[in-house]
Amino acid sequence: MVPVARRNLFAEKGRFAISICGVAFAVLLVLVVLALYRGFSRTGETFELLPGSLWIAQTGTTDPFHSESLVQAADIESARDVAGVAAVVPVLVRQMAFSVEDHDLSARLMALDVPAGLPVDDKIRARYLPERGVLVIDRILADKEGLREGDIARLGAVQLRIGKVQPRSAEAFEPFAFLSYEDARRVFGLEDIVNFGMVMLLPGAAVAAALEARLPGTQVFTRLEFATAIRKEIDESFLPIIGILVAIGFTVGAAVVGLTIYTATIERSREFGVMKAVGASAVFLYRIVASQSAMLTSAGFLLGLVAALVVARLAREAVPDFATEFRSLDIAGVLVGTVVMAFAASLIPVRRINAIDPALVFRA
Amino acid sequence: MSEAIVRVRDLVKHFGAGESLVRAVDGVSIDVEAGELVLIMGPSGSGKTTLLTMVGGLLRPTSGSIEIRGREITRMSPGELTEVRRHLVGFIFQSFNLWESLSVIENVELALNVAGVTGEEAKSRARRLLEERGLGPRVRFRCRDLSGGEKQRLSIARALANDPLLLLADEPTANLDSRHGREVMRLLRDIAKSGERAAIVVSHDQRIREVADRVLWLEDGRFTDMGKLVRDPVCGMSLEESAAATLRHGERIYYFCSQGCLREFQESPASYVAPSPVG
Repeated sequence: MVPVARRNLFAEKGRFAISICGVAFAVLLVLVVLALYRGFSRTGETFELLPGSLWIAQTGTTDPFHSESLVQAADIESARDVAGVAAVVPVLVRQMAFSVEDHDLSARLMALDVPAGLPVDDKIRARYLPERGVLVIDRILADKEGLREGDIARLGAVQLRIGKVQPRSAEAFEPFAFLSYEDARRVFGLEDIVNFGMVMLLPGAAVAAALEARLPGTQVFTRLEFATAIRKEIDESFLPIIGILVAIGFTVGAAVVGLTIYTATIERSREFGVMKAVGASAVFLYRIVASQSAMLTSAGFLLGLVAALVVARLAREAVPDFATEFRSLDIAGVLVGTVVMAFAASLIPVRRINAIDPALVFRA
Repeated sequence: MSEAIVRVRDLVKHFGAGESLVRAVDGVSIDVEAGELVLIMGPSGSGKTTLLTMVGGLLRPTSGSIEIRGREITRMSPGELTEVRRHLVGFIFQSFNLWESLSVIENVELALNVAGVTGEEAKSRARRLLEERGLGPRVRFRCRDLSGGEKQRLSIARALANDPLLLLADEPTANLDSRHGREVMRLLRDIAKSGERAAIVVSHDQRIREVADRVLWLEDGRFTDMGKLVRDPVCGMSLEESAAATLRHGERIYYFCSQGCLREFQESPASYVAPSPVG
């Protein structure tokens, strides 16, 4: 078959290039927005990575980010006696301002009192369980605030040395810093009160109800419930915005493709008229328009995908808490979206072709 | 007598209604046989192109019938008419109407693709048609790089791509110089004579009369008797002597299609070549 669609598009290379860029921009916008959403949706992942299966909190606690939970340390201790519980780790956590080398910042300080002898993975220990006098931060916080290993952090009267900077975590939205439990008690000034109890279970044990019965005034979250409670806030505030931006992206893309194909169709009305005159069927003509649209959108999609990956990388270097995560399912979804976009964009040109009178070819 | 390829009976096409009614074609009948080249002449607005578009299945008549090889086309559905145009009719246009973004060979190939012939078969058939019309060395050229004569030869090759029974040509020499015009005329004659097909040519070009088997005069939507034809020296139009405005200049009488042409002539008679009566 003669590649009419390709020839038509390439006949106006400048417009073709601009149109591809238009589609690529739309795809870039949609992909980056989705990736940002996915990146921020991982907020709270710390609670999933820590080894605790259950979290004991004060009754009425909504989530660990937006409400305070104060539980008697003795109550947390007594949870150890509940059948099926392997260990209970008291946890202190609090959003707090501090300074590093005359630079003021704030982070969510967290400390876990892991009982001696409890086997803990080295990576967990390095990331979440620093020695006394050490504050552990991740790459996001370090890059954002310009912090380096060895800097001294002043938390009230307590001074801590920043330890080895850990790889980027999922907590770009609410950065965490980890300190030892003893340091946290001094920094927070707490003795008999803890914020949460992290519970590790024996294999196959189901003890949530027993824990709540044993500890009046507390409620028990699974780690997933805890993380989900945090993400609910993000979903409620971000999702409508994401939805609008994605819709705008696809609309812009469809408009660019539609206008390009429509203009190309109008300009070639006479040529389409000649095709009709020599016996081209409607399907034959639609196929040309659809091919033009598909070529434009697929080239735009590929360029947009590459641009989105590059832009996300550059943006992360400029803005450390620009947390993006590109999921193959999202990319596939955007691809499907661009196919729909291509189809929608060819509807108007197809109507235009339908309206072309083949007899016009006899007008000089 | 050979079988008629086209049989037109009492064909009427009206545009508008009431006081603005235009009788573009008003009761035309004609048979065109295989191997025949029929030239239809007439003044501008006489209905020539309207007649051609109806015979080509591009315009529905108000009444009357058109048969192409026994198939009545005036009551066909749009899909059936598309089939007729694809396989039975080939068009040649005054302004060539080539697909400018395609190469020479692709212009013919596309016409074959439209009829379902694709791949190597389409390529080789297109190449052969172009070589037969002297365009072999130009197959990879862009249409815009061809001369007017080459463009019209390409247009003819495209019209013949699907081996139609009927060729319809609208002013095929109008945009060509004298040499290329004669080339196209010879081609049309050879095409009509070489096979089982007929050609209807609409033109003002007197030269085509040399190769036509019949010349018909269409005026006000009707075929009229061919009177003596004369040529307007200003615009070059052929017209019937009886309908022309006249002016004696020197020893000769000059004929004009309109008072406008007559006035132009009067302003500068020396600018115009002496007309030669024809017919």
